Amino acid sequence: MLSLLRLVSLRHFLGSPLRTLITVAGVAIGVSTLVGITSINKSVMNAFRSTIDTVAGKADLTVAADTAGLPEALLETVRAVPGVAHASGGLTLVAPIDGAAGQNLYLMGVDLLDDGFFRTYEGVDTDVGKLADDLEFLNSTDRVLLTDRYAREHGLTKGSTFSLITPDGAKPFVVHGLLKETGPLKAFGGAVGVMFFGSLQEAFGRGRTLSRIDVAATDKKDLEALKQRLRVALGPTIEVDAPERRGQSVETMMRSFQLGLNLGSGVALLVGIFLVYNTVSIGVVQRRREIGTLRALGAERSTIRGLFALEAVVLGLIGSAIGIPVGLLVGRGAIAGVARSVSEIYVRVNVSDVQVGPTEVLLGVALGVLGSLFAAMRPAWVASSVMPVEALRRDVALGGGQVSVRSWPTYVGVGLLALAWPVTWLPAPVENLAFGGYFSIFLILMGTTLLSPLLLRALNRPFQKPAEWVFGFAGRLAADNFARSPLRTAVPVSALSIGVAMAITIGGFVGSFQASSQRWIDQAIPADLFVTSSAKLAGVQNQPMSGEFIEQIRSIEGVELVDPVRIMPWDALGLRIFVISNDSAIYMSRGTPLLLAGKLPDEARRSQGAVILSENLARRRNLTPGSTFTMNTPTGVHTFTVDAVIIDYTSDQGSVIIDRKVFDQVFQDTRVDSFHVYVKDRARDTESVRAAITARLGRRFNLYVLSNAELRDEARKLIANAFSVTTAMELVAVILALLGVINTLLAAVLDRTREIGLLRAVGADRAHIIKLFAAEAALIGVTGGVMGVAIGGVVGVIVTTVVGVQATGWDFPFLFPWQIALQMFVGASVCAILAGLYPARRASRLDVVEALAWE
Amino acid sequence: MIDVQNVVKVYRRGSNEVRALDGVSLTVPRGQFLSIMGSSGSGKSTMLNLLGALDVPTSGTISIDGQQVSQMPDDALSKFRRSRLGFIFQFFNLLPTLTAIENAILPELLGGKSREEMEPKAKALLESVGLKGRWNHRPDELSGGEMQRVAVARALLSEPALLLADEPTGNLDSKTGAEVLRLIREATRERNLTVVMVTHDPRAAEVGDRLVRLADGHIVGDDPVRVAA
Ligand SMILES: Nc1ncnc2c1ncn2[C@@H]1O[C@H](COP(=O)(O)OP(=O)(O)O)[C@@H](O)[C@H]1O
Ligand SMILES: [Mg+2]
Repeated sequence: MLSLLRLVSLRHFLGSPLRTLITVAGVAIGVSTLVGITSINKSVMNAFRSTIDTVAGKADLTVAADTAGLPEALLETVRAVPGVAHASGGLTLVAPIDGAAGQNLYLMGVDLLDDGFFRTYEGVDTDVGKLADDLEFLNSTDRVLLTDRYAREHGLTKGSTFSLITPDGAKPFVVHGLLKETGPLKAFGGAVGVMFFGSLQEAFGRGRTLSRIDVAATDKKDLEALKQRLRVALGPTIEVDAPERRGQSVETMMRSFQLGLNLGSGVALLVGIFLVYNTVSIGVVQRRREIGTLRALGAERSTIRGLFALEAVVLGLIGSAIGIPVGLLVGRGAIAGVARSVSEIYVRVNVSDVQVGPTEVLLGVALGVLGSLFAAMRPAWVASSVMPVEALRRDVALGGGQVSVRSWPTYVGVGLLALAWPVTWLPAPVENLAFGGYFSIFLILMGTTLLSPLLLRALNRPFQKPAEWVFGFAGRLAADNFARSPLRTAVPVSALSIGVAMAITIGGFVGSFQASSQRWIDQAIPADLFVTSSAKLAGVQNQPMSGEFIEQIRSIEGVELVDPVRIMPWDALGLRIFVISNDSAIYMSRGTPLLLAGKLPDEARRSQGAVILSENLARRRNLTPGSTFTMNTPTGVHTFTVDAVIIDYTSDQGSVIIDRKVFDQVFQDTRVDSFHVYVKDRARDTESVRAAITARLGRRFNLYVLSNAELRDEARKLIANAFSVTTAMELVAVILALLGVINTLLAAVLDRTREIGLLRAVGADRAHIIKLFAAEAALIGVTGGVMGVAIGGVVGVIVTTVVGVQATGWDFPFLFPWQIALQMFVGASVCAILAGLYPARRASRLDVVEALAWE
Repeated sequence: MIDVQNVVKVYRRGSNEVRALDGVSLTVPRGQFLSIMGSSGSGKSTMLNLLGALDVPTSGTISIDGQQVSQMPDDALSKFRRSRLGFIFQFFNLLPTLTAIENAILPELLGGKSREEMEPKAKALLESVGLKGRWNHRPDELSGGEMQRVAVARALLSEPALLLADEPTGNLDSKTGAEVLRLIREATRERNLTVVMVTHDPRAAEVGDRLVRLADGHIVGDDPVRVAA
């Protein structure tokens, strides 16, 4: 067998280098996309988990307070609980860097002596052990330890000063020493400073609060009992959990984000398999004569099948060997963008490189090798089944395989399509994972793929007239050829349609989401200016501002109203939701909250704890007007009543909207994430008020002041950015499809060499032959485009109303993206023609005499 | 009509050189039916391909109907074939996706003429070759003899100056073959058409006016055909 491989296959590979190249490229691109995406997914998840782990260090349990803070006195309470071996308190916060818009320093306030029990800090030029007695470090409020990398990148050395924005404005801080970027410092990507927690509290006006207490247990086996004792000691409002448990709500959250990545990798994988199938099967079909010769020389059927299987495995291995490293490169290129999106929308992650484990490599090899093997099986089977004489004839059209309406692909195809809608009703197996929706999309793609050969056959007649009109009589012949080997031609058509469909689906989803969120901003938050501190859009990246700014803003000439909005990430109802509080009077009079159910609470109801829920939270937790739910707050467990459900796009996990007065009491928090400023006359006052805010507060506190239009723009960009990787994958899918077009047409040229000779003999010139193949390519493009637009529309509806709803809880109408559809349709057709030009040129250059020769 | 002077055709395959035609000269007057015979590999097809402007000689000149085909660019050659030449091959004369009538008018369709313009003439011609009422059949619905008749109709339709046939009966049983030959003979005589036909079959060759024998790229015999008794 191996000698046959060397004798027959190797010669074939070297003899038609282009086809071999396309086959290997097809495998490689499919494999690299899969490996790239899975490694990105894994790296982001790992980075996130390792952040949790390294930050948690050796802590067995963590007492957490999220944003509002724990009284420092609780540290003693914790230490007094039996079974606590060690406890250490810490305060972390994000400080905007003065003069560098949008950049923050993550500050950890710890007691190095205590904290050293859980985490290891390594000094570069400083002995960390001695810092515990270093009075200068402990007593001044401006001493910070920085990582050596951060210091180097910002031109700082020991003793230099830099400026951070604190609630009291910009303040200078001094580099007290440098630390190695290891352990907890690494988790945040180096932009981290360490201070004594007392100093940090003082510098940032945090009173005597902590954000976290880490606990080591004496008896590691019975953490549950210790947890109970701590709960009793600390009261019901304070969360005590194992560190990794706290990660879970964030992981659930990330599942929403992976929607785009999952869709993209699935599609790229599918198109990759198509191309592998396309190239390998064409290669096999075209070697029927060779198979005939081998058979005539006495090779058995099983030998032939084995040979082709082996060949496919070899090509698959070569493709995988190229695809895996390329995939890693691609992943490396895309990871920064993905990490940025995740950091913007969810949690800060530090991913500097992609990681691959054996799983990704195995997955890549499996796709490459098994995909090729699978692709070669059917054609090898068919080819080895024919009698040697038949295989030796050259004048039979080889691409063959007629399709009939009554055959299993038709029944299965129709069956899959019929199932597509019912499976969308499948419940999500894990929160935020839209299994039913993904499954339905898979069924639709499979079903249409199975039915596409029939469609091509049916399109023969309708295409004849228009093709002849555009390309002359060669166009008419192309319309016939297009439908002649439907099994083969259907592959690039389907691949192209999937690429196009994906663009339409994602474009439609993003566009629909943008349209809905714009309507929401227009109606629900029509303020003229928005003032935020460390991030343009208030959210996880934002650092709240002091509530006292409100007076200064109100006093500005031209300001009519200011709504001090707090947007606070909070763990509640098993999710990381946002608790939004605003001045209800302004919110309900100036804006028009997009009410879906219930009635907006009046003042009396609000003071009794009536709140408004976002639709996604209501949907996720089955809450309706009249339902009640509880939340842990700094002042105890409180029960809230749902009065209304509205559209709100602040968080894809869910939001609770609470009146500002109630919030201040319950959460003991008067800080503000975004001042919504209403001016007296939008046209006249907006710019002057913006200038005044910038002059009085903006420079000092590094604030962003966005107009309504700018806010809408930021929201639009954020949505588009979340899908930027998907866009890159659309491109991969289309490129793969175009390789498929080239490949299919090259095979057609070989198949129809005799016909080309005949045409040339009866007077067709080179331009006719070029048109013949260019027109067929155009028909492939047009069909793929139309199919893609149709599939994209249907899948778009499913993604928006099923997958999107399960992943984000938001239900908005799908707007068909006409413009993208038109662009993709034209783009697919034009690109297909361009791809067809190479085979067309080859066909037109055929030597007529040789083309006509029988032997 | 046809004037071939000192034509040499050399094929190169790697370092191998095959002199398929080695200094052939030949003139054929208008209206003559020339048969070419010779053993396999003697250069018959090469000769026919050169006369059909499908290939150019390595040296020597070929003029057909006053045109120097050995020196024309590719597009002009295509146009020349379309308008001045008719071809009949041994098999694979028709495009499988086209109907009989479409196959018959294929050169004209390629030349940009419309179906409507060509159909009356094509129908008349198909009728005259015995295919009345089978205009819309596709090649797979026609017998071998019928396919050759369509090919004959196609070759005649453009009113060419020269008809070239490479073993037109090689793939047919002897009865059908004889019928097709008779058809070619009669149709070309009516139109005073020049014909060059390559054949293996001495009986087929006798249909012509003149018989040229080739061996190893040389003309080894050139005789008028004796009228069969
Ligand atoms: N395209 C070609 N390349 C190389 N040699 C060729 C080619 N075509 C024909 N020959 C060689 O030229 C000689 C004449 O061939 P051909 O004209 O086909 O003979 P015939 O038709 O009489 O059998 C043969 O030896 C053949 O092998
Ligand atoms: Mg021959």
